[in-house]
Amino acid sequence: MPLVEIRNVTKEYRKGEQTITPLRDVNLDVERGDFLSLMGASGSGKSTLLNLLAGIDRPTRGEVRVNGVDITRLSRTKLAHWRAANVGYIFQLYNLIPVLTAYENVEMPLLLLPLARAERHKRVGIALEAVGLSDRADHYPRQLSGGQEQRVGIARAIVADPLLVVADEPTGDLDAETSDQIQHLLQRLNTELGTTFLMVTHDPKAAAIARRRIRLEKGELLEPEPPLQALVSRGA
Amino acid sequence: MLRFFPYLVKSLWRHRVRTGLTVSGSAVALFVFCFVGAVQEGLARLTQNRQAERSLIVFQTNRFCPSTSKLPEDYGRTIAEIPGVGDVTPIKVFMNNCRASLDLVVFHGMPPDKLRRFREMNVIDGGLQSFEQRPDAALVGQALANRRHLKVGQRFAIGEVTVHIAGIFTASSPAEENFLYTHLDFLQRTRGLNSVGTVTQFEVKLAEGADANAVSRAIDAAFHGGPVATDTRPKGVFEANAVGDLAELIGFAHYLGYACVGLVLAIVSTTALMAVQDRVREHAVLQTLGFTGLRIFGLVLSESMIVGVGGGVLGVGAALTTLGLSRLAVGTEGVTIAFTPSWTLALHGMGAALVIGVVAGMAPAWQAARADIVESLRAI
Ligand SMILES: Nc1ncnc2c1ncn2[C@@H]1O[C@H](COP(=O)(O)OP(=O)(O)OP(=O)(O)O)[C@@H](O)[C@H]1O
Ligand SMILES: [Mg+2]
Repeated sequence: MPLVEIRNVTKEYRKGEQTITPLRDVNLDVERGDFLSLMGASGSGKSTLLNLLAGIDRPTRGEVRVNGVDITRLSRTKLAHWRAANVGYIFQLYNLIPVLTAYENVEMPLLLLPLARAERHKRVGIALEAVGLSDRADHYPRQLSGGQEQRVGIARAIVADPLLVVADEPTGDLDAETSDQIQHLLQRLNTELGTTFLMVTHDPKAAAIARRRIRLEKGELLEPEPPLQALVSRGA
Repeated sequence: MLRFFPYLVKSLWRHRVRTGLTVSGSAVALFVFCFVGAVQEGLARLTQNRQAERSLIVFQTNRFCPSTSKLPEDYGRTIAEIPGVGDVTPIKVFMNNCRASLDLVVFHGMPPDKLRRFREMNVIDGGLQSFEQRPDAALVGQALANRRHLKVGQRFAIGEVTVHIAGIFTASSPAEENFLYTHLDFLQRTRGLNSVGTVTQFEVKLAEGADANAVSRAIDAAFHGGPVATDTRPKGVFEANAVGDLAELIGFAHYLGYACVGLVLAIVSTTALMAVQDRVREHAVLQTLGFTGLRIFGLVLSESMIVGVGGGVLGVGAALTTLGLSRLAVGTEGVTIAFTPSWTLALHGMGAALVIGVVAGMAPAWQAARADIVESLRAI
């Protein structure tokens, strides 16, 4: 059974007479341990799809099953608990809590789980180690570079050992070199931890690290994606 | 929720100027709230004094200020024979000021044996004996002694009257601690007062089972048509009458207390609302991590409670300390209302602060808890 099964998902926004349909009848299966990249023009509905998968938005129609659970049917509160246990979210602009240290930011999702202090300490240590920031645990976000902030964001997303990690343009705000480092980090975490990743990106190079590439166009999913692959292989 | 305490404190600390201003604003308002409460309590103590229900005050009719009431001292014998009267104490009152004042000094001249029998006092410095031995001796209530920095062995003068301080006492009633007791005949003989043979008032202890109103009527009837007519009332009623105008003012101050609560509510809820609007995105991130709406609600409410209670601790603490140290009392026509700190006051003040914290946080907490995650994440 695939980890994620998206069935006939449509998302509409109504503004008076006008209806915007960022997603129309989308179907998608994601296998456990896979690494998907999602590309598409601006406004094509990438973030919308990602948010549905992360359980922070609901489709107008259709089902989103993750590990057999149709998350579109969960109540607001149940969905929050589900997110705490199953999803990690990596933001483009990191979204760390400014008043908390790197350590405390990473610990935040663990505070929602029934874990003792010592266990939390151990897990935060492992997550920070995995992103190479053990020596920055006591630093505040404003004391870190963009790349380091994003590493903390990644540590926060993987610390609770979720089934699925989603990333919305995780390198969109970083320079080329830092982007490369972050992409390799994500790739490594995918192979070492076996966590399933779905990453939205505008950058063909970033998309190239994925095992599987998909594309959204005017609310519809296209796959595979020959013109782009050709482009990447030519560039490489 | 305790796990999130560091996050709460750090969030408040991040906006420490704003938090500090809110806390001090609340503190000032709660300080006033407690002060108003202390005045109300002082008045309530005076008018609800149980002991006062079994005592009557005989005063000259149509007189208000004690210095104008002059009753012949031998009225005491007539009063003692009226059925229902248990005991009669002649009292000569002398004071520095008849109008409302924050520094009223009231002398009560009484026969020493009556003082010993009818006033519940605990002499903490000096002694009753040395008071009884010296004709110009005085016993000073602790509140008055503190206010005027009086010590045993000192001389103390108000107008023509100079006394020797023989002791300082505490009493169960704070108003009592604002009095100064002297020998009756000493006050009567003081030059300038010209009151040998007269007293200001009689205090009548009712006999067991006697009806206060009936005895009052009987006393007034006995002197009706005499050289000086009397007006007799239960002690509580007499005191309430004396402070009548002041009581009205104090009753009005009640609204000042409510206004303070409203003020704190407005201050704290403005801050709570600002804190929420500042952090629309942060709360959406927390929800993305898996925080439930209820948890966000709790976090915002806790923040506003910390601010409210912080203001409470400062304001109530400062008010009680000030009340305790200053021993303020307001008095008029020889009756004083003492402002003292009390547990009820502390409880009311802190209770108000807590309720304010909760109520002020409600709407902002609800707003934060119900916010749409995706929309809030898009917000800058
Ligand atoms: N709350 C909303 N109300 C109306 N339309 C919306 C709303 N949210 C998103 N949309 C529309 O849905 C479409 C898809 O938006 P989405 O953010 O998913 O695009 P995207 O592919 O992530 O774009 P980008 O690459 O610029 O991030 C856009 O046309 C957008 O205007
Ligand atoms: Mg987007």
